[in-house]
Amino acid sequence: MLDLTWVLAGGGGPRLLDALGAEAIRIEWRDRLDTLRLAGPFVGPEPDQSKPRGPADPPVNVNRSGIFNDINSGKRAISLNMTQPKGREVFKRLVAVADVVVDSFTSETMRNWGLGYDVLKSIKPDIIYLQQSGWGYKGVYSGFGSYGPVAQAISGLTEESGLPPPYPPAGWGYSYMDWSGAYYCAIMMLLAVYHKKRTGKGQYIDGSQLEPSIYLTGTAVLDYSVNGRHWKRSGNRAIARPQAPHGTYRCAGEDRWIAIAVTSEEEWGALAAEMGNPSWTADQRFRTMAARVANQDELDRLVGAWTADQEPFALQDRLQKAGVPAGVCQTAEDRVERDPQLRHLNWLIPLPHPEIGIWPIKNVPFHFTNAQVDQGGPLGRAAPCYGQDNDYVYGEMLGMTAQEQAELRAQGII
Amino acid sequence: MADAFLSDVKVLELGDEKGELCGKLFAGAGADVIKLEPPGGGSSRLNAPFYHDQPDPARSLYFWHYNVGKRGVTLDIAARQAKGVLEKLIARSDVVIDSLPLDTLAGLGLDWPALQKLNPRLIYLLLTPFGRSGPWRDYKANDLIHLALGGPMMCCGYDPKPDGTYDTPPIAPQMWHAYQIACNQAFIAAVGALIGRETHGNGELIDVPIHQAVAVSTEVDVPIWIYSKKPVHRQTGRHAVQRISPQAQFQTKDGRYSMLLLGITPRESASLIEFLTEKGFGAELNEKFKDSASRRGPEFNACLNRALTQCMGAFGLEEIWKEAAARRISWAAIRLPEENLTDEHWRMRQTFARVEHPELGETFDYVGAPTLAEDCPWRTGPRAPLPGEHNREIYGSQLGLSAAQIEELARNGII
Repeated sequence: MLDLTWVLAGGGGPRLLDALGAEAIRIEWRDRLDTLRLAGPFVGPEPDQSKPRGPADPPVNVNRSGIFNDINSGKRAISLNMTQPKGREVFKRLVAVADVVVDSFTSETMRNWGLGYDVLKSIKPDIIYLQQSGWGYKGVYSGFGSYGPVAQAISGLTEESGLPPPYPPAGWGYSYMDWSGAYYCAIMMLLAVYHKKRTGKGQYIDGSQLEPSIYLTGTAVLDYSVNGRHWKRSGNRAIARPQAPHGTYRCAGEDRWIAIAVTSEEEWGALAAEMGNPSWTADQRFRTMAARVANQDELDRLVGAWTADQEPFALQDRLQKAGVPAGVCQTAEDRVERDPQLRHLNWLIPLPHPEIGIWPIKNVPFHFTNAQVDQGGPLGRAAPCYGQDNDYVYGEMLGMTAQEQAELRAQGII
Repeated sequence: MADAFLSDVKVLELGDEKGELCGKLFAGAGADVIKLEPPGGGSSRLNAPFYHDQPDPARSLYFWHYNVGKRGVTLDIAARQAKGVLEKLIARSDVVIDSLPLDTLAGLGLDWPALQKLNPRLIYLLLTPFGRSGPWRDYKANDLIHLALGGPMMCCGYDPKPDGTYDTPPIAPQMWHAYQIACNQAFIAAVGALIGRETHGNGELIDVPIHQAVAVSTEVDVPIWIYSKKPVHRQTGRHAVQRISPQAQFQTKDGRYSMLLLGITPRESASLIEFLTEKGFGAELNEKFKDSASRRGPEFNACLNRALTQCMGAFGLEEIWKEAAARRISWAAIRLPEENLTDEHWRMRQTFARVEHPELGETFDYVGAPTLAEDCPWRTGPRAPLPGEHNREIYGSQLGLSAAQIEELARNGII
């Protein structure tokens, strides 16, 4: 797989195929590095792009980003200057031995380089080419760029999240559509690979970050189409069933919260018993699910008063033992340092990196019984250094001589 | 009929709402998906919203949305007479998606060795809340609880007060994202296993714990903790990071909101100031911050914030974001999902699809394809099955049960 993706929405897709045993070769050039190589936190010194460089040397310390290490785990990397005609000739030699080409440039870039699907296909008739741009190539907005927050805003995902007015949308506190975009990038590549295994045919796929965002907006479009109803935010309350209490409640400690979701009368009884059956639980306003839903504001206040001075994890375990769905709003620290279930599932695996050493990397959450599947991929390693696999790819795969490689280096091509 | 990615793949879906998007993805990619429900229909048929707000197992829009393109059978799998039928269904399947309560199939004598005996090439995909073992194995969860435990909620919500404390809770973005996140990754694993099977011929058991799937799908909070042991703080409409960043959502003239992603690259910042100037809101910025090196820090941010507030407030939601986006400024309308239905871009790409409901004599707009693949077009439809709609077709012509046998199963309440 020739991986011309950027940051996460693109870069996360090939990562998943690596975990499943593919060989992703990341193609980079030092003048326009993936912003994640330059984004902290870093292990050791930060990148320094100001140092004098030879025609093909990368900036100093571009292999030390922790986030890059996570997102590009398992991949190979080569350096190649695609802005030069000679670089594009080398790229074409790679296409001849590839199964998949994937890029997340804006939609005209590859065509402007003379590397559209027709050209790739003339080199390798069964090539799979996934163009994973922001908005897609076909259409009126194909020249627009996108980041996760843009995709979330346009699709409706942002508007769907948050408390009712007068609060504005809360949106997402991270680029949901970067990982989710990456999932659809991986999905489309895998579907095309399966189809090629069965039929021998390659294909071109005009993918985007925006369309998976729309795909994940749930039932709102249908509710409008069928009932003419516009979406209205309702915080953390249950929207599919009458269920209450259903929300987040403050606990002891700074900014600590527990989510509680009572989905049946039985669970309500268990919660009331854990609260010590205070007299208000027998009040007319809270006796049935329908009554509790109708009086949610007051119910939330009363439940919140009970949780407010309790240690959140002890409360979670106690409620779960009583059969009440409950979970602490966990931070990254909680998940990395404490969560016993994630630890049991080996959600982080130690993988080596040649410059920064061994670090925990987020593993894929699918546990295969027969096949060896983990985020180290066939190479069993974290992210590659800039140009780390030039010798393997140019030498072993393409059969370039040492002299040929040296010449390309001197010309600023690799 | 046009080619499809998975036109030769047969899928059996068991369980509830946890696994439905995964089956929907299979159907969209062209697989033959059979959804098995208990007699009368599964629990997700009780989820709102409903057609004309009429609660009815055949009229749940939730069910329509997540089960479009599937065929449906009913079967009381716990009944003694059901076992042979269930085994036949499993034997004909390439993939079984199982989100039933833990160990349900094993309890019926259909553990993994038994399933392999029935069908050595089977890909058995388990969607479990917390995994098949471990200290939280039997914890109860729903979408909200998963979004809390998995980490998204602590990243999402509103700005803290000036003193750094919060008076608003963490927010779970609505629309079943915990299940969607898990199903996306389960689908990736299953298609990966199908590709592997083409090479080595073997089936596979894959467990996808929803808790783990959600926990790996937040963005920078985990790497920031791992590499620098620092917490992140949630902020209105923007990334939870260590520091509080400048406001990114602004009210429009019509009382809606637009968002602007500030300064990803210096080129984008320069374009933004140029754009604000053209629209008549850049005077103060140009006067106080002439050269690009000065365009940083709190004073610049405050000045930019004033210009953006005024500019956004002078135009309606859809009025100028496209003009800005055409210049590669990350400015976007915060739309309602349904507002995309009339957008020419999605019309050209057939992102939405019309799906017929012959039982109602009506046709509705559905969210359609997550991508544009012209050689293997995505499929949206036919509409989700009514309870047991395909019992006769599947049990009869496909499993070879006689009309009398089907009649008896129905009479005994097994189907």
